[in-house]
Amino acid sequence: MLFLAFTVGRTILPIYIISGLMAMVLFLTSTSIGPVVFPWETRQKTLERLISCPISIKTILLGNVWSSFFFGCIFSTIPMVLGVFIFGLWSYINILIIIIGIIIAAFAYSSFSLILSVPPTDTPASTMILTILIKFPIVFMSPLFMPISSAPLALISPLTYFIDVINIGLGEVSAFGTWGLLIDFSILLIFGFGFLFISFTLHQKTLQKRFRG
Amino acid sequence: MNAIIAKDLSKFFKPSKGKKKEKKSKQILEKENNLICAVDNISFNVKYGEIFGFLGPNGAGKTTTIRMLTGVLKPSNGSITIFGENVWKHPIRVKQIMGNVPEMANVYLDLTGIQNLNFIGEIYGIPKKERNDLAENLLKKFELFDRRYSKAKKYSKGMKQRLLLCMALMSSPKILFLDEPTSGLDVQSARIIKQLIREYNKTGMTIFMTTHDMDVANELCNRIAIINKGKIIGLDSPENLRNLKQEYQAIDLYLINDLNQKEIENLSTIKEVRKIQDHYHIIVHDINNGIFEIIEYLKSNHIKIKKINTYEPHLEDVFVKMVNGGG
Ligand SMILES: Nc1ncnc2c1ncn2[C@@H]1O[C@H](COP(=O)(O)OP(=O)(O)OP(=O)(O)O)[C@@H](O)[C@H]1O
Ligand SMILES: [Mg+2]
Repeated sequence: MLFLAFTVGRTILPIYIISGLMAMVLFLTSTSIGPVVFPWETRQKTLERLISCPISIKTILLGNVWSSFFFGCIFSTIPMVLGVFIFGLWSYINILIIIIGIIIAAFAYSSFSLILSVPPTDTPASTMILTILIKFPIVFMSPLFMPISSAPLALISPLTYFIDVINIGLGEVSAFGTWGLLIDFSILLIFGFGFLFISFTLHQKTLQKRFRG
Repeated sequence: MNAIIAKDLSKFFKPSKGKKKEKKSKQILEKENNLICAVDNISFNVKYGEIFGFLGPNGAGKTTTIRMLTGVLKPSNGSITIFGENVWKHPIRVKQIMGNVPEMANVYLDLTGIQNLNFIGEIYGIPKKERNDLAENLLKKFELFDRRYSKAKKYSKGMKQRLLLCMALMSSPKILFLDEPTSGLDVQSARIIKQLIREYNKTGMTIFMTTHDMDVANELCNRIAIINKGKIIGLDSPENLRNLKQEYQAIDLYLINDLNQKEIENLSTIKEVRKIQDHYHIIVHDINNGIFEIIEYLKSNHIKIKKINTYEPHLEDVFVKMVNGGG
C-alpha cells in the first residue's frame, strides 16, 4: 500500500498521517467524476440532445464540479474523524478551519479534474490513463506524511496548501509563516477559479469535435 | 412568416488525423482546399406551422445542417434565425422553444422511461407535479405507458426512438427537429411516429425533419428541400417533386435477339434508348403508350422478349436529373 511505502523506516507525527490521508482521499475522490462525464455522454450518445437543451456548457461543467465536490467532501471527512479519534486530538482541533479547508480544496480539485476531460475522446478509459499520468505525479510531489519544508517540489502541488490547512486545523503552525492560512486559502481559490476558467474555454472549443459524422 | 431563416450556411470540417502530417509546411490556401465542405452555402426559409423536409442521400449534409440549426455545431459561415432569434447569439433563448431528436441519439439507459422524461422536465424547470402529468400523458400517447417503470436499456429500438420523441416534446416546443425519425424502425413504430408528427403539426408545431426516404418525405412534408453534396438542388412541394418523378418514365427490356437501336428510337413515344449490359433501358414519354408501341414493333420484327419491366425511378434518378438539368 501507498501508505505503508511512506511509513516504512520513518516515525511520523499523527497530524501528518491525518492531513496526508485526507489530502490523498480528497484529491483522488474529487477528481474521479469530472474526467469521465463528457466521454461517457459522448459514448452513450446522450450528449447531443443534452446540449440542445437550454443549458450552457458552463452549467453542465458546474454540475460536474458540484457532484465531484460533494463526493470529495464526504469521503475526506472519514480519515479525519477516524484519525482524530484514534490519536485523541480532540482538544487541538479547529473544526471551522478544517471544514472551510475541505470545501475550498474540494472545489479546487474538482475544477482541476475538468481539465482532464478536455480531449474529445469517447472512451472513458483513455481519459483515465491521462488522469493517472497526471494525478499520480502530483500525489508523489506532495508532502504527504512529512513536514512541508522537507518536500522540495511541494510548492507546485495543489495538495500542499490543503495539507497545510489541515495541519493548522490540528494545532500545527503553518509552513508559510504568520499569514499561512490566508495564503493557503488564496492559492487554493486561485487554483480553483483558474482551472474552472481554463476548462470553460477549452471545453467550449473541444465540444465541437465530439460530434463526428 | 418564417420560423427558420437560414442564410448562406456553410460548414467545413478539418480532415481526420491521417492527413495532418504532410500538411504542416504548406500554405494556408492549400489548407483551405484540404477542408471537407459538408454544407456548401445554402439558404432556405421554413414557414410557421409547416413540416419541412431535408431529403438527401448518405453524406449529403443533412445531419450537419440540423446540428447547426439546433445549436450543436457552429456554422463556419452564415446565420440562422429561429422564431426571430439568432441561434448562435442567443442559444439558450432559442433552445427554450425547440425540441430535438438527433440522429443515433440515445436515452439514458439506466433510467426508466418516466425518469428520463422527468430529468428533461427538470432541465426545463417544469414544476414537479406538472412534470409528472406531462410525462405520463406523453408516455400514453406514444404507447409506452405500460413500460414506464422499466429501465430504458430493456426497450426495443423503436421504443427508445419513441421515448426520445417524448423527451423532445416534454417542453412543449414551438419547433421540433427530427433527424431521420423513422429510419431503421419497424412498421408499427414508424407508423406511430409518423401519425404523431402529423398530429403535433396540426396543433401548430413547426417541424423540420431530415430523411433519405422519399416516401416518408412525400407522406409527411409540406415542402421538401433536396440536398446533395452539401448543396440544395431543389426545393418544392412533394406534388411538384412527384411530377418530376413522373417525367422520368422508363421501360427495361430484356430480349433474346439483338435490337436495332436507331429504329426503335424513331418511335414516337420514345425519348432515348440506352444499352445496359444485358438489357435496354428505354426512356419514354408515357409508359402506357410506350409499352404498346414497343411490343408492336418487336412483334412486327419477330424479336422475342425474355422479360419486360416498367421502371420505377428511385431518389437517385431524381438527383441525377436535377444535378444534370441544373435544378
Ligand atoms: N465531425 C466531422 N468531421 C469531419 N467530417 C464530417 C464530420 N461530420 C460530418 N462530416 C462529413 O460531412 C459530410 C456530411 O455528413 P452528414 O452527416 O451531414 O450527412 P448526412 O446527410 O446526415 O448523411 P446520413 O444520411 O449518412 O446521415 C460527410 O461527407 C461526412 O463525412
Ligand atoms: Mg445524417
